Amino acid sequence: MLTELGFVVLAGIKFGALYALAALGLVVVHKATKTVNFAHGAFAMLGAFASFLIVVNWHWPYWAAYLLIPWAIGLIAAAMESVILRPLRQADMFTVVIATVFLGIAISEGFRLTYNTELLAVPSLFAGPPFIVAGVLITRDTLWVIAGALAAALACIALFSYGRFGRGMRAMAANIRGAQLCGYSIDRVYMLAWFLGGGLAGLTGVLIAPVTGVSIDLSIAIITAGFVAGVIGGFDSPKGAIVGGLLLGIAESVSAAYVSSAMKNCVSFLLLFLVLMWRPQGMFPERSGRSV
Amino acid sequence: MSDRRPDLAALGPALLIILCAAVGLRLDSYPQYVIAVAIISMLVGTALVVLVGLARCITLASGSIMAIGAYVSTLAVAQLRVPYLGTLALAILAGGAGGWVIAFLGTRFRGHNLAMVTLVFQSVSIILIRESRWLTGGAEGIHVPAPEIFGLAIATDRAFLIMIGIAVAVMTLIVTILVRGPFGKNLQAASGNEIAAEAFGVSVRGYLTAAFVVSSIAIAFAGALLAPRVRILDPDSFGVLESIFMLAYPIVGGMHAVWGGLIGGGGLRILPELLRPVADYQELFFATLVIFVVMFFPGGLTELIRRVVASKVKPTPPALAPVPAVPAAPTDRDETGPGGHELLLVESVDKHFDALHAVNDASLRVPARAIHGLIGPNGAGKTSLFNILSGFLAADAGRVTFAGTSLLELRPRDRIRLGITRTFQNVAVFGQLSCLDNVIIGLGRNAVLHAMGASFDHFARGAATRGAQRAALAALESVGLAAQAYSRAGSLSLGDQRRLELARAIVYHPRLILLDEPVSGLAESETEDLRELLLRINAERGIAMLVVEHNIPFVSRLCRSLSVMGGGRIVAEGKPADVISLPVVQQLYFGEQATS
Repeated sequence: MLTELGFVVLAGIKFGALYALAALGLVVVHKATKTVNFAHGAFAMLGAFASFLIVVNWHWPYWAAYLLIPWAIGLIAAAMESVILRPLRQADMFTVVIATVFLGIAISEGFRLTYNTELLAVPSLFAGPPFIVAGVLITRDTLWVIAGALAAALACIALFSYGRFGRGMRAMAANIRGAQLCGYSIDRVYMLAWFLGGGLAGLTGVLIAPVTGVSIDLSIAIITAGFVAGVIGGFDSPKGAIVGGLLLGIAESVSAAYVSSAMKNCVSFLLLFLVLMWRPQGMFPERSGRSV
Repeated sequence: MSDRRPDLAALGPALLIILCAAVGLRLDSYPQYVIAVAIISMLVGTALVVLVGLARCITLASGSIMAIGAYVSTLAVAQLRVPYLGTLALAILAGGAGGWVIAFLGTRFRGHNLAMVTLVFQSVSIILIRESRWLTGGAEGIHVPAPEIFGLAIATDRAFLIMIGIAVAVMTLIVTILVRGPFGKNLQAASGNEIAAEAFGVSVRGYLTAAFVVSSIAIAFAGALLAPRVRILDPDSFGVLESIFMLAYPIVGGMHAVWGGLIGGGGLRILPELLRPVADYQELFFATLVIFVVMFFPGGLTELIRRVVASKVKPTPPALAPVPAVPAAPTDRDETGPGGHELLLVESVDKHFDALHAVNDASLRVPARAIHGLIGPNGAGKTSLFNILSGFLAADAGRVTFAGTSLLELRPRDRIRLGITRTFQNVAVFGQLSCLDNVIIGLGRNAVLHAMGASFDHFARGAATRGAQRAALAALESVGLAAQAYSRAGSLSLGDQRRLELARAIVYHPRLILLDEPVSGLAESETEDLRELLLRINAERGIAMLVVEHNIPFVSRLCRSLSVMGGGRIVAEGKPADVISLPVVQQLYFGEQATS
């Protein structure tokens, strides 16, 4: 019994870590630019697709995928920001959201046209035998995904909390005009935020590719899970995004195992519902109140 | 204006649909099928103009709402033996309920959060349909029986086209009437300027919810009409991609008029049929097209046409608003006004923000017909007090009565009914609407259901509509904007927008107007014009005014009495000339040295 529960929770943590990474990418972009990037899922799918190309098609070593893809997706995201969103800087949030929604579609469709298949499989990173801890079977891949995703997330939080880059983004989030007056360039900070967000999406894609395979559905699945995880965490809090992702992953896994597999997909809606009803500011709201 | 002819332009969209269907009847079976599904998309486009164009809510749930309509209708026919026409009614109910659920969760947010709530609703509904195999047949789908209407089997493409043409024309007419009438205008007001909308009784959440319900009803209806035509109903035909492409209809076609939805829906639905040879690329093409449109042609095709037409047809240059002769300022009138009673009585009002005592035991009184000023340096608490009086802020303690009625418990919209209106420091006109429609909103009859009813009255040019227009024109006339009645409010100069706000504030014949820095941002000549206008309105209509202002010369020439605030307290009161020379006031504005 307990062993089964341990297994189920571990599987939940594995997906949760991936959701957390996806949510973190959304939160980073949102914190600096006040925009939710609806193309985030498509960027992650692009990352997963790129790892298929590198590992399966070109037979390059796996580490090349980890090394190259986050940078590549980050650059693509930054380029998209400066080509499509910069001209919309004066437009309202409504227009920007629509632009990113259809940007995501364009990317997904571009993928579908290149590889007209349902699902591309990407092999696991490790071939070794699984570990057994207290009766719970733990594959090397599971450990790698959890450790890798969480380490990347923590590194990103550190980057955000310290250093000129993070300070600039937080300054932009707090007061755009003020930050501009202090010498931060809005174009550069926005581009950097998209670069970082895209990089996180790319990493999410590389990590998730062996787990789920690469398909066009990945795009919507990642943006939905990432958004719900972000809302649970408060959407402006990187730490909240991580906790929200893990919570969502475990809740999905547990309900799939003990209620029904259909239930798994409704969990995100239920969680979103509960959080929005009772704590619209999320579990970890950023302190924004002024102290007098 | 007092034209008695009904609003014939509202018939246009429905006539276009009848025309499309009539043309289709002369063609072969396949084009008839294409035209039928295009007509359904035209209805979806129209429905999304309400939600996306007017309410500015991004929805990614249209596919699931359409699925709800289609499944409810099909299951009611197949399982419950309900006649097809009856199932259309059920589909409408189910769609409306679905829209309400989304709105209930979503309308506390705007922008991306709202869009995400709709996306999650979409995903979960489709999963539920797919997983409920016992009811819906799951992913393999369910066979849809051919509908029968009054014993007549609808089985041929021709019969479908006739049925769909008639049904969609009726629904489109209803939606068009709502869009063109007060409902559509208030919806634009609610999405354009939430604070101003609430101040005139347009409940923002109420209207956004109504927009979701109305558009979902029309989309579910479209789904129920489409179901028998697809023969096998499966959940994946209503996926999130379909929702996103439906979102493209109003964006590409045009967001501010039903025509945009019709053109976008019909055009984007027929295009793939024409692009058969490159069918694979159509989604990519659509997505690129939308990005292109939002970047270069915001507002879509109809907006582009409107702009081209507007630049071809040179509008008559807006005549400088004539300021009619100003009556002498009634300086020597009885200070308390006729009847001698206080209109607005503020007693010992207190307001804390954490440690900041923003309003401290403030009392003031505004007699009937008086113009009273409230001045004070920045941070004195004027705005807090003003917001308490206008109902945008709750007081911690104290009493505020208006003609004997206690105000503090009343919402802004209830205060209108009592006879209190306001203007805003940052002009808050509804830029998308004409000046006339801006002023009509000031009449305050803006409850959602009332506005829906009034939309039908507007269509028929009923007595209520003509009455409202006459009142609004009179108000525009008295601020000198009659010539601009049909111009978009957003195109006016700042000074004229302030006049327009004033017209909106006086149209309901209030007894008191609260003016929040009425001349901030105006040039000196405009300031003088506005002062004369205010004096004239006060003299002609007997409306009392409470003016919060920084511009001391303006206030002292406008008001007959002043209250001065400092540090949350009322520190002085009296005639302007007397008050301003008081040492305590001098000290407040110029510091210690001035008094020594």
